Amino acid sequence: MRKAERSLGVVFFPAFDWAISPTHPEREERLLYTQDQLHEEGLFDVEGVREYKPDVAERTDVERTHFCFPDVDAVTTRSHLVSAGGAIRAARLVMEKQAERAFAMVRPPGHHAMKCVRGARGFCNVNMEAIMIDWLREHYGLRRIAIVDTDCHHGDGTQDVFWHDPDVLFISLHQDGRTLFPGTGFPIESGGPAARGRTINIPLPPGTGDEGVLMVIRELVMPLLEDFGPELIINSAGQDNHYTDPITNMNVSAQGYAELNSILNPDIAVLEGGYAIQGALPYVNLGICLAMAGMDYSMVHEPDYRAESLRQDPRITSYVEELCRQMPRVYHNPPESPQSAEHGMRDGDWWVRNKSIFYDTGGFQETQKESALLCDNCRGVLQIESQVGSVRCLGVEVPLDACPACQNRGHAIVEQAQLKSAFRYVQLIDRVNKQYSRFGF
Amino acid sequence: MYLGIDVGGTHTDAVALDISGPGVEVVSACKVKTHPQNLLASVNEALERILKGVDRNKVKRLNLSTTLSTNAIVEGRIEDVGVLVIPGPGMDPTEYMLCRDFHVLDGAMDHRGNETARLDKAQCARAIAACRANGVNTFAAVGKFSVRNPLHENTLRHMLCGSRDDADCHRADFVTLGHHLGGRLNFPRRAATAYFNCAVWRLYNEFADAVEKSLQALGLGHVRVNVLKADGGTMPLAVSRRMPVQSIFSGPAASVMGIIALCEIVHDSVILDIGGTTTDIAVFADGSPLLERAGIAIGSHPTLVRALRVKSIGVGGDSALSMIGDTVRVGPRRLGPSMAEGGRHPTLTDALNYLEYCAVGDVQTSRRGVTEFAEAHTISADKFAEQAVQAAAGTIHEETRALIAEINDQPVYTIHELIEGKRIVPRKLYLMGGPAEALQKPLFSRFQLASEAPEHFAVANAVGAALTRTTTDVELFADTQKHVMFLPGLGHHENIPGSYSLEDAKRDAMNHLLARLADLKLSSDADRAEITHASSFNMVEGMHTTGRNMRVKCQIKPGVERTLG
Repeated sequence: MRKAERSLGVVFFPAFDWAISPTHPEREERLLYTQDQLHEEGLFDVEGVREYKPDVAERTDVERTHFCFPDVDAVTTRSHLVSAGGAIRAARLVMEKQAERAFAMVRPPGHHAMKCVRGARGFCNVNMEAIMIDWLREHYGLRRIAIVDTDCHHGDGTQDVFWHDPDVLFISLHQDGRTLFPGTGFPIESGGPAARGRTINIPLPPGTGDEGVLMVIRELVMPLLEDFGPELIINSAGQDNHYTDPITNMNVSAQGYAELNSILNPDIAVLEGGYAIQGALPYVNLGICLAMAGMDYSMVHEPDYRAESLRQDPRITSYVEELCRQMPRVYHNPPESPQSAEHGMRDGDWWVRNKSIFYDTGGFQETQKESALLCDNCRGVLQIESQVGSVRCLGVEVPLDACPACQNRGHAIVEQAQLKSAFRYVQLIDRVNKQYSRFGF
Repeated sequence: MYLGIDVGGTHTDAVALDISGPGVEVVSACKVKTHPQNLLASVNEALERILKGVDRNKVKRLNLSTTLSTNAIVEGRIEDVGVLVIPGPGMDPTEYMLCRDFHVLDGAMDHRGNETARLDKAQCARAIAACRANGVNTFAAVGKFSVRNPLHENTLRHMLCGSRDDADCHRADFVTLGHHLGGRLNFPRRAATAYFNCAVWRLYNEFADAVEKSLQALGLGHVRVNVLKADGGTMPLAVSRRMPVQSIFSGPAASVMGIIALCEIVHDSVILDIGGTTTDIAVFADGSPLLERAGIAIGSHPTLVRALRVKSIGVGGDSALSMIGDTVRVGPRRLGPSMAEGGRHPTLTDALNYLEYCAVGDVQTSRRGVTEFAEAHTISADKFAEQAVQAAAGTIHEETRALIAEINDQPVYTIHELIEGKRIVPRKLYLMGGPAEALQKPLFSRFQLASEAPEHFAVANAVGAALTRTTTDVELFADTQKHVMFLPGLGHHENIPGSYSLEDAKRDAMNHLLARLADLKLSSDADRAEITHASSFNMVEGMHTTGRNMRVKCQIKPGVERTLG
């Protein structure tokens, strides 16, 4: 009888009846070969490893996290609610102690979905990890959570959702934004005024392989996690750093991914991108499952794996070494960000940034003005004014543990906005009173 | 005339059914003791008893459910097998090393059936020679993804048998190839199933020979013999000789098929077979029994043997009553028989006797036993007996709810199934077994469902065995980019054009299933053929569709030929 060292719940949901479009990378076929591989390996017959069905997220679960304009139904399909529900189920498995570790192998992905959602960007509509974390906090009162995003693309959505949150440490490893979508994720992006140093971006040069990524995890990420002391570690497990991925330029193998998870030892992993669906995903997903369950993964290899052809360029190695030396400063002693409209600047009591966000999947541009109240007693109320075309919308968030003044302020802003009717849609997220409401048609 | 025999662990039940009219008449039925060391003697004894006064020429069919293979495995009376596995990359194959002569060979197939590493023939020859040197001459050859491409398994068969002809195997006694076990993906289960199939092959065939011989001697040489499988179907004796592993754990299936024969089941329902030691719980969806998702486990080895989903819990008539603090418990220990039947410790049956729900054996002894036990635990006898019965009904109810919750929580892979998929909500309860009638009322108050305890339930298992139909299933896998279509269970592959569609695949799968029925001389069951799964995925490379990847499963539904109801 094969036995797992740590029990692992796998929420496997390949959504075999959903695609963005028939030939889009995010299509029905994406997890087909992964399913074949996991079933052929008999993974779910291993004692301690079980397959679970996802929950279906409620509209409230989305509205707790995102400002959705015009509303949740307009920017999501059932597949997004199932995928978010899959992440919630994974969290539930761990919290209810049905499994020590959980992997939500669900699609579509979510890490490019930002706080304010007007449509789809980077194949993402809503943010699965963020919805899961806010659900966890509301239902289990968790506070300090770390997310390590190992997708090849910068997790700009997750970064945006937790930008002002000092209790979430967001670390993203990705191919350098100068060479890949979404073009962000530089060390200077380190968090809002109340959460400086809680966003850590680690851009890696194209061609980085197992050696470089594992070096970053071992020497940079692990010490930061140790210092931060999270109650839960979450891996945004994108698999597009793989050497065969069609839309990126990295050189990581299934072995590398498995070892990464073995070192990182996340409580929960949530699948993100990864589009080498035949040559990479079956092996990478298997490797991650085995590593999370504490089982031997040394025999998991891609059929075309040749270690020598994936050897990392020494120049990359020395660049990564330098990154590991420099980056802890961003966490321990974050530099003042430059005062500019783009990076944010003080405007009276508010910290204001202007953003222009391109929805590549939807093909439109959103302009945003994000204002966070500089409050001495709490994180401060947050408001986002969003405009696409001529449609202006307003989202107001009273964050967790907001002080009474900020709670009142948040409700007052919403009231004012309704009186002035300058906005087509207004949404209020009041995390203190667990009140999620929307106005406008 | 149909005969049904269910050789169980303690009893062998048999019936003879007259089917000459429109319905079914039970002509004779008997229960004899099972001789574990001589199952043939039990079969013969049961046959003699039910055939008294029956015209043997009118007997058309004998369906036999036997514990032979199960017992052989449990008791270790199995022979050594050479297991040759080709795992390729993935999980460590030595974690499920099945036996001494277990050889891991180089070579690999990927999930689409592309050969990604070749067999090393010299290494294969060395492994085979090592097995033979140990005196082993039955072999299981199993490759990962062999159900997508059986090349390596076929090559090994050629080396083992000394022939490419399927009928000829002059160099080995018996060889099981993994892909012949069906198209389902699960390499460790495939290896274990192939191993057990070889391990019981010789013993099983000796038994089959003996059964055929004694049927001749009894003047039943003309009778068609079928063997029960755990999935609620039968297979012809000739087929079972090559697939003896399929005969394991057929007992619970016989009981479930029995209740189908005795009652008209149409809704979602729960079947409780309450025995001496255990209660078996089975669940029906829209009147059809549910199957295990992957297959049944033999000991700690999961296999691909299809089986009805039956959950056994430790509550039965002989379950010991005990007290922990103020709580009365029933089972899971069996300290039977009950005091009413000469036992020394009060059991559930004694409590039922005490409350006059039934009158089994010596009711006075039950009353005395329950009273004494209750007094010793400073509780009134009435209360003790009542709580014991409540506890039994409560446990059965809880376990049934848990089973249904588990079934409803089974993974699905499409949004449609997840959101609109069927959920099982039982509407009726069927009870069988010794204490069934006595427990009818307490169970009703828990389940709040109409319940029925059919007549003849004492030999329901044998009735079920007699009336069970033959089942068979076929799986098809097609890849239009590679222009191949493959039916692993039949070992059949064919080239297909790029335009091959899911409709073509469904038609081909059905045709092969019907052809197989014709081979088994069962063409009349064609109307029970159904497609249980059909999916087609566009395979895309770059931005272009390069082909379609299709999977189709079809089966002959399990069922009974007629009902007594």
